[in-house]
Amino acid sequence: MGEPFDISYVFEYLVKLLPTLKVTLLIVVSSIVIGLGVGFIVALPQLYKIPILRRISQVYLSFFRGTPILIQLFLFYYGLPEVLKLVNVDVAKLPALYFVILTYALHSGAYLSEMIRAAVGAVDRGQVEAAYSVGMTGFQAFTRIVLPQAMAIAIPVFSNLVIANLKDTSLAFSLGIMELTGKSQTLAVMSRHFVETYISLAIIYFVISFGLEKLFHLIENKLLRHERRLSSEDKEPRLRKGKEKPFRIAAKLGFGRGGTENEA
Amino acid sequence: MIKLTQIKKSFGRNEVLKGIDLTVEKGEVVAILGPSGSGKTTLLRCLNYLEKPNEGQITIDDFTVNCKRPDKKDIHTLRQKSAMVFQQYNLFKHKTALENVMEGLVIVKKLPKEDARKKSVELLEKVGLGNKLNAYPSELSGGQQQRVGIARALALNPEVILFDEPTSALDPELVGEVLAVIRKIAKEGITMIIVTHEMGFAQDVANHVVFMDGGVIVEEGKPNEIFNYPKEERTKQFLKRITPEGVYSI
Repeated sequence: MGEPFDISYVFEYLVKLLPTLKVTLLIVVSSIVIGLGVGFIVALPQLYKIPILRRISQVYLSFFRGTPILIQLFLFYYGLPEVLKLVNVDVAKLPALYFVILTYALHSGAYLSEMIRAAVGAVDRGQVEAAYSVGMTGFQAFTRIVLPQAMAIAIPVFSNLVIANLKDTSLAFSLGIMELTGKSQTLAVMSRHFVETYISLAIIYFVISFGLEKLFHLIENKLLRHERRLSSEDKEPRLRKGKEKPFRIAAKLGFGRGGTENEA
Repeated sequence: MIKLTQIKKSFGRNEVLKGIDLTVEKGEVVAILGPSGSGKTTLLRCLNYLEKPNEGQITIDDFTVNCKRPDKKDIHTLRQKSAMVFQQYNLFKHKTALENVMEGLVIVKKLPKEDARKKSVELLEKVGLGNKLNAYPSELSGGQQQRVGIARALALNPEVILFDEPTSALDPELVGEVLAVIRKIAKEGITMIIVTHEMGFAQDVANHVVFMDGGVIVEEGKPNEIFNYPKEERTKQFLKRITPEGVYSI
C-alpha cells in the first residue's frame, strides 16, 4: 500500500493542512459557545429541581451521552431535514457545516451541563446563605459568590471537554466537511503518502491540544489564587488541596480523557 | 424592637418550632440556650429567613412579615434588617477579608467603593484584624475567620445581629478571642441574639436568657434568674448537666 515513506512530505502536508485548521477551530469554538448556553439551560432545572423540565433535561443528557457522536452526526444530517419537512421547513439545502456545529454543540452541551451542575454544587451552600444574610438577591449571590468559584472548579473539566471536542471534530469529515481530517484524507488518497499525512495531522492536533491544556492551566491558577497563595509556605498540603477538588469532580462525572471519541 | 409571634416550623412531619413568641427590645443581648434539637438554631435562621417558617409573624423595627404568605420583596427587606454570624463562618472563599466585609456595602447598600473600604478597614481593625486585610479565608485561623464574619455582619448596620453558635466550630484556644469581640460590640448597644453553648459567656454578656426545649420556649428571664433560680424542672436539669460544678467563667 502507498508510496515509500518520505519524511519531507510530513512538513509539506503540515503546510497544506494548516489552512483547514480554521474550519476545525470554527466547529470547536462555535459548538463550545453554543454548548455552554445549552448546558447552562439544561443544568438549571437540575440545580433547582424543577419537576418536569428536570425529566426532559435528563432524557436529553442520556441521549447525547449514551450514543456515539458519529451516529448523532448522521441522525442530525439525514434525519433533521426529514423531520422539518413535516412542518414545511426546508433545510435540505443548508451546508453540512451547520448540521455539524449543531450536533457538536448539543453533544458538548450535555457534558457541559453536567460540568456546570457539579461545579455549582461544589460551592458550599453556607456561602450562599451568607450572601442572602448580607441582603443579596438570589441573582447577586449566584453571580458574585457562586459563579466565580464554580468557574475555577470547572476549569479542569472544561479543559478536558474542549480538547475532547477538538478531537471529535475529526469525525466531521464523514459528512464531507473539509476540516483537518477531511483534508488529510483527500491528500493521503491522492498522493498515497498515508503515513506522512497522518503524522502531520497528528502533530497539528497534538500541538493545539497541548496549547489549550497549558492555557487552561494558567486560567485555573489565576482563578484559584485564593487557595494557592500559601503554597510557598506549606507546599505539600496546599497543593494537594488545590488539585484534589477538580480532580474528584472530574472523576465523579466519569470523564476519562477523550472518552467520547472512542465511541465512534 | 423585634417581635416574633407564633412562629411555627416543620421539616416534613417533624415539628421543630411549635409556636414561638419572643420580644427583644432594642439594645438587648439575648442568649438562647437549650439542648441539641431544641430548635434554637432553626429559630434564629427563621429570623433571617434562611428557613421559611410555616406560620407566624416576624416584626423587626416596624417591618412585619406574615410568614404564611411572604412576599419575595418582604423577605429581602427583612434580611437587610438583620445580619447573621454563622457557626461555620461562611466567608466568601474567593474574596479577601477586606472584600468580604465590603461586599455587602458595595453590592447591597450601594456605597461608593472608597467609603465602603474605609468603613470595612475600621471594622476589621475593631475586631483586631487590621493586619489581615488582604488575607484570603484559607490563610486565616478559625477565630480570625469568625471575626471577619462578625465584621461583615457589623458593616451592614443591621437592627439585630444573629449569632448561630459562633464558637462551636472553633478550637478551644480560639474561643476566647471571638467571645471578646462579641463582648466588645455588645457593650456598644447593638441588639444581638446569640445561640450558644457557652454558659458563662451567656450569663455574663446577655441581658435576657431564653431556654428552649422541644420547639418551645420553656423559660426566659434575666440571666441571674435563669442560671441561679430556674423555675422549670427541665431548665434545672439542663443546667445541672451542663455545669456540673457550678457556673464556670472564661
